[in-house]
Order: sequence, then structure tokens, then C-alpha cells
Amino acid sequence: MPLLGAALLTALALWSLPWREGLGRPRTLVDRSTARQLAPGYRLLIRAAAVIPEKASFVTRTEPPDPNFETWYFRLGVAFLPGRRALPASDFGRFTPPGTWREAEYLVLIGARPNEAPGELVLDAPDGTVWRRRSPS
Amino acid sequence: MTALAWLGTLIVLPAVGAPLLARPAFGGFAPVTRAILSGGVGATLLTFVLTLFALAHLPWRAAPVAVTAALLAWALGAPVRATAASPEPERLGRAALLAACLSAVCVLAALASTLAGAATSVDLFYFWGPKAQQFALARGVDIAFLADPLHDYMHAYYPPLVAGIDALSTIVAGRFSWTAATLTFPILLGALAAGLPGVLRGAAPRRSAAVGSALAVAALAVIGIRANIAGNGDMPLLFFETLAMALLMRRDSEGAAVQLVAGLLLAGGAAAKVEGLAYALAAAAIFLVLRRRNAAGSIRTAARLLLPTAAMLGAWFAFGLTRQLFRDYSEYGRFFVLHLEFLRRVPTAMATALAGTGRGLPYLVPLLCLFAAGRPSRAALLPLGTAFALVLFFWFTYLHLSTDPSEWIAWSAPRVLMPVVMLLALAPCAPAGEAATRDTSGPSPG
Repeated sequence: MPLLGAALLTALALWSLPWREGLGRPRTLVDRSTARQLAPGYRLLIRAAAVIPEKASFVTRTEPPDPNFETWYFRLGVAFLPGRRALPASDFGRFTPPGTWREAEYLVLIGARPNEAPGELVLDAPDGTVWRRRSPS
Repeated sequence: MTALAWLGTLIVLPAVGAPLLARPAFGGFAPVTRAILSGGVGATLLTFVLTLFALAHLPWRAAPVAVTAALLAWALGAPVRATAASPEPERLGRAALLAACLSAVCVLAALASTLAGAATSVDLFYFWGPKAQQFALARGVDIAFLADPLHDYMHAYYPPLVAGIDALSTIVAGRFSWTAATLTFPILLGALAAGLPGVLRGAAPRRSAAVGSALAVAALAVIGIRANIAGNGDMPLLFFETLAMALLMRRDSEGAAVQLVAGLLLAGGAAAKVEGLAYALAAAAIFLVLRRRNAAGSIRTAARLLLPTAAMLGAWFAFGLTRQLFRDYSEYGRFFVLHLEFLRRVPTAMATALAGTGRGLPYLVPLLCLFAAGRPSRAALLPLGTAFALVLFFWFTYLHLSTDPSEWIAWSAPRVLMPVVMLLALAPCAPAGEAATRDTSGPSPG
């Protein structure tokens, strides 16, 4: 009986593989996981690490704004851009007061490019843009 | 290349534990089993030394930390006299061979899933990885980083093993490797598949040991893939807990040598995740009750099983208190302030969460196998009692949230109840008869 059970669970393990999406090398480590919806921000933040210098501060936002995604992307920003100062536009699914991130030197914007440029464009990628923000007045 | 260097550093773990496991007292274990037990002991001792270094304001450097931990392993083994018994040589039967093949397929499935980006835990990016990365940059536990209010989701109080070992790999490799961190899931599952049958051979015939191991590995593979545990603390926790339980189920678990290693592995579990402490306390308490020793013997056994955990968490909480970083394990509510209005909802939500993971099969199949094995032996009360205690612990824990805990349970229960599945799978391997649980006058022979 235990051997039969082990065989059944082994079959279930094989069935759990993402056969339909393929087993090829993914673009991100979450591409086929339950967190796959984070893949666009994941890709952009990895690329943003090349244009946001050490010790600079940045905020990650989404277009359209979404407090849950912005919470998750803030955390991904902390993970993928060590040595920079990530400031949250949202925390635990709630937008933070704008003062929390007003001083951010860079804006990582996941999604559509805004109509009005929020500063100098430093990266234009399929998943979004990165801007060096104008100094707050 | 970074991933290879990062993973290559993990080879140091068995090397650190080897001065203990290489002693003649452990000659009864097969070389591969000894190497895997050495890895667990090495990870525990390295974490303990990392914590002591942090407490003493000493920077984390790979060589001094590893040498100190290896010396500690050597010193711990010096008083060990009793030996682990050598099981009777037994031919590798067809069932054992098939079980080994099933385990290998499960490990390959876990590897393929991880490499395909289908098993990654998002918690790796939220806190396990960032902490390790930051600790490596700071060459120690980065207090400013953890105390920053913007990082309050990092769980500063979480025990230090995963972030500490990952930080050490990062220091050696030069940078953190996210891919390598996720690969710890199939690697540790593979280590269990390779090492567990050898440990269980001290409790059961070769066939039962191999089949029980395969059942446990298969269940963990399915849940691990579906609940996305690659890169988080769940697989390290399971690695320690599984091997510790298998050691305690052995017929020679009366011996000091086996108890010492089991105690170190329980400490590894307690240093991997918060619930590892509940597991260590439950397993040690049930072991002591079942063994019915005299007072002095019980105290010695309790010391071997729990002193490593006490030392590990004592050092960690001393660090937290002296740096005013944390004082206890509380985040989701004040300890013992229970919200009994959710008393019924918690088990319902837990059952729903389990049913949604592989249609509940990875939880049901080991349970059905247990029922099919007939009335459990007295020795089986150790894994079964520990499983029961764990379920009660999580029920108790979930009751601390002041709001409806259903969502919390939905994303955490399938993972955190994995040790229960493993215990159900191992229970039929417990030795039958009183010999396994009765008091013996001294260390076990062999």
C-alpha cells in the first residue's frame, strides 16, 4: 500500500509540472509560479538595477496605480536593488502618504508610459519605464 | 557561475559536521547517510557560530566561522561512546529499488519545476533573500536594516539559520544568487531521498524504510511544487525535522550518539523556522514519555535533545534583546490572546486549504497508508503524537489573529503542515513491539 501511495504521489508530482507552458528556461523565477502576475515588475526592476546608482533612492509605482501591486513591487525593489533606498508608495496594500516617497530620486513605473514625463527617461523597456525625477519643489 | 559558486559553498556544511559524524560511534551508518547527517549538523553549528559572532560584534568571514563550527563539532563528539547500531545486511529487494526510483523521479520533478520557475516562493524575494543579501553586505545581522520601519515585513525575529547560511554562501560567491537559493528545494529533497532510508534502517527492515522514505519524499515533492516553497525556509525545516524524527524512531535511539545528533537536528529546525521550536519540544517530550527512563536518564536524554535548541535560540534572543531588535516570537497578535470566535473557522479553513493542494491527495494518501498498515505500534506514537501536537500548535497560532484568519490560512497551511504529512508517512516505519520503547539499562549495543 505505501509503495502504491508513493507511486500515485510521484505521478501527481509529475502532473504538477507546467507541461503546457513548457519546461524551458523562464525569463523570471516566478514565470510559472502562483506569483506569475509579478513577472512584469520583476523584469523591469532587474533592468532598473543597471540604471539606478548605488545609494540613490527610488519608488516603484504601477500604471494604473494599484496598492497591492505597489506593495509587492516595493518589496521586490528592496530585493533586487541592494545598496539603494527603496521608498514605498504603498505598504500592506494601502497607499502611503506621498510624503513617504516625495524625495525619491528615481521612479520605476511598471505599465504604460505616462502622458506627462515625470522627469528624465533613463530606461524604456517593454514592461515599463525608469525616470530620474525632477527635484521636488 | 555565481549560482554554482553559491551552491558550491554548501559543500562546507558536511565538512563542518564531519568531525562529529566521522567518529567511530557513527560507523553503523552508510557513508552517504553520514554525509547527509553531517550536512545537517554542520548547518546547525555554523548558524550557532554565526549568531555568536554577531552577538560578539565579530564580522562574518567564511573561514573563521567554518573552522570554529568544525571545532565545535569535534568537541561535541569527544564524550560520545555509545555507537549507532549497524543494521543486519539485507539484500536490496525489488520494492526497495522501485521506491528509490520513485524518490529519484520526485527529486527530478522538483528540480524541473524549480528551474522552470514554477515552484518559487515569493517569500524568497520578500524577506529570506533580502535578509541574506543584506547580512552578507554587512558581514553580520544588519540591525539598521531590520530596525528600519520600512522593513517591518522582514520578520526581524525569525530564527537565523536560512538567512545566515544563505549570507555565508553570498559572501563566498560574491553576490546573492536567486536561482541558487530556489535550488535548495530540490537539493535538500534529494538529500532526504538519499539519506532518509539509511536512517530509517535502524527502525525498520530495508523494504519498509525505503518505501516509507519514498512516500514521504513524494508527498513533500507534490506539496513543495504546488505550494511554491523553493527558496523559503520550509524545505530546510523539513530536512532537519525529518532526519531528527527518523533518528528518534531507531531502535538504538537510547544511545547518546544518536540522541546528540537528533538534538542538533532539532536545533537546526528550531533555527530554521519558528514552528521548529514547537516541533522540537513536542518530539522531545513524547520521546521522553515513551521511553519511561529513570529520572537521571530522562534528564540526560532531555539535555541531549533540547540543550542544542536552548543554546541556539538563547544566543539568538540574547542578540535580539541586546540590540533591542526583538524580544519574543509575536507578530500576528499578543501571545495567548486568543480569538475564540474563530475556533471552528480555523480547522475548516485549514481543511479547505489542504483540499486545494493537489486535491488533498498528498495529505490523504499518507493517512490512508497509515490506516492500511493496521494498529500503529507504541513507537509510532512518537511521529503521530508530534503530528497531532503540530496540528494543535497551528490551530492555536491561527487563533491569535484578531481578524478572520482564513486568508492567512489559505496561503500558509499547505506549506506549514508539510511536517505533519512527513510524520504520517514515517509512522508505519516505527519498530513494532516493546523493544523499541522500553527502558534499557545503558546505551544501546552495536
